[in-house]
Amino acid sequence: MRIFDRKPALRWLAPLAAVLVVGGTGGIVAVSASADPPLKPRTAEQLLVDLQQAEVDGLSGTVVQTSNLGIPEIPGGGGPHGSDSSLTAMVSGTHTLKVWYAGPDKARLALLGTFGQSDVIRHGKDLWLWASKDNTASHRTLSATKEHSRSTESPQESMTPEAAAAKVLKAVGPTTEVTTNGTATVAGRAAYELLVKPKDDRSLVTEVRIAIDSVESIPLRVQVVGVDQKPAFEVAYSAVDFSQPDDEQFAFNPPPGAKVTEVPPHPSVENNKKKADKHADKKQGRSNDPATSADRPVIVGSGWTTVVVAKTGDLKDSDNAQLSQLLNALSPVSGAWGSGRLLSGPAFSLLVTDDGRVAVGAVPPAMLYEALAK
Amino acid sequence: MSAVETLGSHHTSDPLIRRPGRSLRFLASELQIIFGRRRNLAGLVVLAVVPVIIAIAVKVSTPGAGDGPDFVSAIAGNGLLVALAALTVELPLFLPLAVATISGDAVAGEANLGTLRYLLTIPAGRTRLLAVKYAAIVIFAFVATAVVTVTGVVIGLALFGGGDLTLLSGSQTSLADGLWRLLLTTAYLAVGFSALGAIGLFVSTLTEQPIGATIAIVLTNVMMFILDSISQLSWLHPWLLTHWWTAFGDLLRDPIETQNISRGLITAAVYAVVFWLAAWARFSSKDITS
Repeated sequence: MRIFDRKPALRWLAPLAAVLVVGGTGGIVAVSASADPPLKPRTAEQLLVDLQQAEVDGLSGTVVQTSNLGIPEIPGGGGPHGSDSSLTAMVSGTHTLKVWYAGPDKARLALLGTFGQSDVIRHGKDLWLWASKDNTASHRTLSATKEHSRSTESPQESMTPEAAAAKVLKAVGPTTEVTTNGTATVAGRAAYELLVKPKDDRSLVTEVRIAIDSVESIPLRVQVVGVDQKPAFEVAYSAVDFSQPDDEQFAFNPPPGAKVTEVPPHPSVENNKKKADKHADKKQGRSNDPATSADRPVIVGSGWTTVVVAKTGDLKDSDNAQLSQLLNALSPVSGAWGSGRLLSGPAFSLLVTDDGRVAVGAVPPAMLYEALAK
Repeated sequence: MSAVETLGSHHTSDPLIRRPGRSLRFLASELQIIFGRRRNLAGLVVLAVVPVIIAIAVKVSTPGAGDGPDFVSAIAGNGLLVALAALTVELPLFLPLAVATISGDAVAGEANLGTLRYLLTIPAGRTRLLAVKYAAIVIFAFVATAVVTVTGVVIGLALFGGGDLTLLSGSQTSLADGLWRLLLTTAYLAVGFSALGAIGLFVSTLTEQPIGATIAIVLTNVMMFILDSISQLSWLHPWLLTHWWTAFGDLLRDPIETQNISRGLITAAVYAVVFWLAAWARFSSKDITS
């Protein structure tokens, strides 16, 4: 290359060109991926019908979930780029999940951490929870009663999807506006977008966007948009394949050396028993559970500006180091209702009072104070 | 000692004639220099000591679940994990440091010793010189990573035995498949370190002080790790070379999760090409005085 011999400075064009080619390719891919695909327009009602009629034989895919709820980073909890694979780490940051589905009794969900993985596996009547970090598995046999209760719902199922969609729209009508928002491309697939907007503008949630696959009619992406007009919570497929996954994906045997916990199969029966016992206790006039009614959460307001006030007991004395660290990271506030610590996120607010109450809602902090004062 | 000595006898008058045989001989002499230096061998020994320390420490104490760095708590169950634990521990600093030493020395070292200009009197051509130097760096990166893996596997199997390997998904796989995945892990990490070596080759053309070049490369590496840990800079993370290194965990799932691995390989390839070209632009237009 003679030109390079005469003008050596031109050689720098080579690495520069490489950078530009890579950057340009990345840019083109990003632009073409976000271009709106041409689709036949559909109304909100039609989309709701589609959603209900959607039937997928099987799918496997990657889901990326991003939370930007304003929750401070928990030290030692989640890594900066979502390296923690424990299920509780999902409240903040970005997380990648793998999904396999081959019918209602064959499903697997895996939360991927850098060097760990948490799985929820349903195979027939077996429900497994697996956490590679602590090498534990817990197993539960699902009771047949659940299937029964599903079949008793059949009168509702016999209702046509059209009627159901109309009913849903009517039910949410006073508080919510349901419209369509054109089309979108999610995981390389063309999708319709359904827009759910609160009519009450005091709500921190400005809108919820649901992208629905144009062929399979399942939701591909859900975004909750906060006051700052950015998604405060997003869960979306980054890749999806609608072929049925292999059966071996759903077979789980705890590896040797893992700690396996067996969860009792009929928790509902247990609960009933306990309730019956309590009844017996009360009849004998020695109820040792006076807090039951006081502990029940109080609902203040309605619709999108509902505030839930619950009693938690004193969280500060909690043994959970992570929880107390988190509480200390929140900003202290006080008012006529008392004092406490406030988490003011873009899509919801949460207030933990010093006297052991917690108020939460998709509302600005002022409305939490009001609810607590009541 | 320099590549000059071995190349001197193959002097031809026409620099434009390409002879692959000569490049290979040049590469062989480069490798002889790299692996013949006592300081480099000492570095490889240090890399190999880490898995030995991990294995012995676990053998003596057997920590409970969740203790210590990743993979360490499960070592008692399978010796192969010694290699994985050692790779994880050496990933942020030790292995990059080894590659930084070699690549920082590549051009700056010759310049410092005063052998660079002799090397260039031979019609090897500056482009070919850089190609051969980089090939030697890549080979060293693979050897250094393999030293950690092989030492880890040998001491792990000796102290804890083998058997089926539990994958992150909770399923089990045979020892042979475990070794295969370990081989993939080693190769994947070596590709990442090779890309760092390209940065090193570029830095090495900027200076005549090999130590300065090595320090600059290590700082670059550490800086990328720091940037990667600042969550406010998440838009930058996919562009960082080191961001993808920890993705080797995906090779230990069932089935192997390829998305991040391929992103990591592409990122490494892009870094390697861009920085090799930058080294070429710098080196072939530079006046060599030493």
